[in-house]
Amino acid sequence: MSALNQVLLHPQQRVGADFAAWRAAGGGEGLRAALGATPAQLIEMIRDAGLRGLGGSGYPAYRKWESLAAQRASGDRYLIVNGNEDEPGTFKDRILLAETPHQVIEGAAICAVACDINHIVFYINPDQDAALASMRDAVVQWQDSDLYTALAEHLRRPVELRVMASSGHYIGGEETAAIESVEGKFPFPRRKPPYPAEAGVHGLPTLVNNTETLANVPHIMRNGVAWYRGLGRGAAAGTKIYCLSGDVLRPGAYELPMGTPLQELIFEHGGGMLVGMKLKAIFTGGPSNTILTPADLDVPLDFDSVAERRSALGTGAMIVVSEGTGIVKRVTEYVNFFADNSCGQCPACKTGTYYISRLLSRIDTGHGSRSDLDTLVSLSQLLPGAGRCHLLDGAVKVLDSSLYHFGSEYEKAIAPRNNR
Amino acid sequence: MTQGISYSDALAAYAPCELREPAVDDITTEALLRAFHPDHIAGSMTQLRIGANAGDTCHTELAQLLQSDGRIDEADLAGAETLETDVLVIGGGGAGCAAALTAVKCGARVMLATKLRVGDSNTVMAEGGIQASVEKGDTPQMHFEDTIRGGHHHVDRPLAAQMVMDGPDVVRWLIQQGMQFDVDKYGDLLTRRAGGTSAARVVYFRDYTGLEMMRVLREAVRNSNIDVLDYSPTVELLSNEHGHCAGAVISSLKSCSYTLVKAKAVVLATGGIGRMHLNGFPTSNHFGATGDGLVLAYRLGARLCDLDSFQYHPSGLAYPQHLAGTLITEGVRSAGAYLLNAHGERFVDELMPRDHVAAAIIRECREGRGICVNDDSVGVWLDTPGLEMRDPGILQARFPKLLQLGRKAQVDLAQKPMLIYPTLHYQNGGVVIDVHGRSTVPGLYCIGEVTGGIHGKNRLMGNSLLEIISFGRRAGRHAAEHAHDRPHTKISIEHLSDLRRALTLAGLPMNQEGPLLFPKYAKFDSDSDYDGLHRSRKE
Repeated sequence: MSALNQVLLHPQQRVGADFAAWRAAGGGEGLRAALGATPAQLIEMIRDAGLRGLGGSGYPAYRKWESLAAQRASGDRYLIVNGNEDEPGTFKDRILLAETPHQVIEGAAICAVACDINHIVFYINPDQDAALASMRDAVVQWQDSDLYTALAEHLRRPVELRVMASSGHYIGGEETAAIESVEGKFPFPRRKPPYPAEAGVHGLPTLVNNTETLANVPHIMRNGVAWYRGLGRGAAAGTKIYCLSGDVLRPGAYELPMGTPLQELIFEHGGGMLVGMKLKAIFTGGPSNTILTPADLDVPLDFDSVAERRSALGTGAMIVVSEGTGIVKRVTEYVNFFADNSCGQCPACKTGTYYISRLLSRIDTGHGSRSDLDTLVSLSQLLPGAGRCHLLDGAVKVLDSSLYHFGSEYEKAIAPRNNR
Repeated sequence: MTQGISYSDALAAYAPCELREPAVDDITTEALLRAFHPDHIAGSMTQLRIGANAGDTCHTELAQLLQSDGRIDEADLAGAETLETDVLVIGGGGAGCAAALTAVKCGARVMLATKLRVGDSNTVMAEGGIQASVEKGDTPQMHFEDTIRGGHHHVDRPLAAQMVMDGPDVVRWLIQQGMQFDVDKYGDLLTRRAGGTSAARVVYFRDYTGLEMMRVLREAVRNSNIDVLDYSPTVELLSNEHGHCAGAVISSLKSCSYTLVKAKAVVLATGGIGRMHLNGFPTSNHFGATGDGLVLAYRLGARLCDLDSFQYHPSGLAYPQHLAGTLITEGVRSAGAYLLNAHGERFVDELMPRDHVAAAIIRECREGRGICVNDDSVGVWLDTPGLEMRDPGILQARFPKLLQLGRKAQVDLAQKPMLIYPTLHYQNGGVVIDVHGRSTVPGLYCIGEVTGGIHGKNRLMGNSLLEIISFGRRAGRHAAEHAHDRPHTKISIEHLSDLRRALTLAGLPMNQEGPLLFPKYAKFDSDSDYDGLHRSRKE
């Protein structure tokens, strides 16, 4: 268990907005180290460390930094620290923001140094009162600190630190939607390109990073690339906060080495299945992903290994369901969630998610027919890629995967009511 | 445990007599209760280990039930039919019907689910009457003070105040619904005095007030737009994503299937726990009084109170054995009947609060002054012949149901006294509510016997019929008017996972399933519908 909570969720880090306690535990050293390096060196470190986008994409973090740093324009630049998390089963950013706000701010400050950014927006889910309060408190303390002065002197311009409650829409977590939101508009996702690095907030170069990604940055600066790479298991680097929920004995957020096998997460850290229930499936990375089955228990939980199983690590949410859970019901709930949260811009998504959700509800409540099921299957082939963002793809992915693994449950649900 | 004088000897020694010396009671109520009341039996209590009341004292058998595993898994609900309504009332007794009628009148869509049939409840067993300060010279204030005193100052004062203030209007409403009361020749309501009260304020109809009330309420429900689901015990409540109450899982005994009822507000009116037979006592309660509501609400996180306090009615029939526990109305005592021990002596002021009288009866029996039948029944005399001598014809006029009971027991009540012993009657504690019947769980209302606080540690006669209508109407109105504007996006039984998690972490056994639904001795044919509910996880 010594591998648990080594870095981000280390008890020394979880001091809330207490600036002094955080400094006493070595806080700020990462930023000091970064101030002594050139932007190119910092980005190189991030690249060599193998830091990935921990908000779900797994996209190497340095690439976005690099493309922002490569922008010629010398004006304002934005960093949006994305803490909008609203996906069912994901609850890591709120912990980082509420319990380790200074660590997040320091990461954002280092990113500002590397990419010459002078506006940092902490974009937080409005339902997370504790996270908002803690960040507001922490930002005030930062603005009076020597670290802030050093940062502004280094960048030779004042740096804005702004804590902002998002609109609370799920879609607001999408990076271009977050940009719209920061501009004060409804979070409609934009078409890409142009990518945010070229034209983001008010057309200015913008970087959108997840909270957890940035929280890792100070530690890489402080302890070095080799240390960070050494934290992971196998080829993976660093740690990951896994959000374990569902039918396990001890659900919760566990920070473990990247690449920890699923088996270990569920049975060692999560205390195993609840009252000896049998494992049936795992919704990885929240509901917008393919489902893992008990055959995948040995999979190391890092981006590449999970992708090899035709799934994705996503945010690191692991929703464990046992025998006894109706997959059709669960998928219906998730698709309902997507249908409720579609922004309605793209007709395929607006009507597609709604229609899938209606078909699923019909099947789930015992009113479905064979042709409903056939329609579902063909929709799941037709819809992906038709939307501007990935909301529609996510909805279809979970449906498609459940049809693949648990087709028999759909068959059972459409059987005539009297044969049940 | 008990010794006494044999039934035949005692009966031979008994002689009807008009007036007897009042009892000399030299013991304080507190000391009497501590020594003899069943709530104080050593070793019968334990501490709750999980839930909102963890650490509170609770009766052992009730604790087992509150800390029991759920009856269903998510798999059981696959393909289950889903119904939708604004207000779901669970329980078809007086409280449930009053709530449903009021809610439907306020414009809500209402569904009423009941374990057996509408009216199968303890309401019909309530004999004595209903307290309301309607007499000249009586005030709600006096009623309030009596309630507080009767409840040993453990009463939730705002609730009791609300109830006594509602009293006269409750009676008016019941009359509007068509209920009859006994009246004098001028048409004014007759009243009698309840034990532990300062004024005659119990209005009544013969000695079956509750039955008459239920007759009227049932007809009103049948003539309304309320959807009634009968033979449909509720096996679990549903929660939404915020843990609020969002409906219930109902098991139909007729179609052997589960139905999900999605509701914007749920009113729990499931009654008490008499059929758990705490401490091995017989009960006056209806067959369905198995504490389901307590279990359902507790699992959803509702706070309970006074789980160690139950009312044992002083006058339950003790003999013949097959009728043991049958209630004899307190009205007989308030009309002036004495309680006598085997020596023909009065041993207690018959109009003291119920717990005091019950404890005094237990004292007589335990100290050898009781009347024994074949070692398995013991009790004291209820001196109906003496009452008849003082006031000829009163039994026939005012207590027809009692005379009927006498005929069943083959006792001529005008000649022979009846053997009585305390019977498990009422659950004083229960779900904590506010004046609108809201529990601590949003969306969940509780009314009637399933709630606690109104009666403190001891209930007065006639206050339960008042409570069910008063709070039934209040909860029905509030639920209808404040049904959330937004429908629940997600309904589930996920709180059961939390329950199972808590049980495992607390190291508690998971071999009992709750709610109980029916008493353990309930016999169902093996092919009956109910058999489907006896699904054991081990099989």
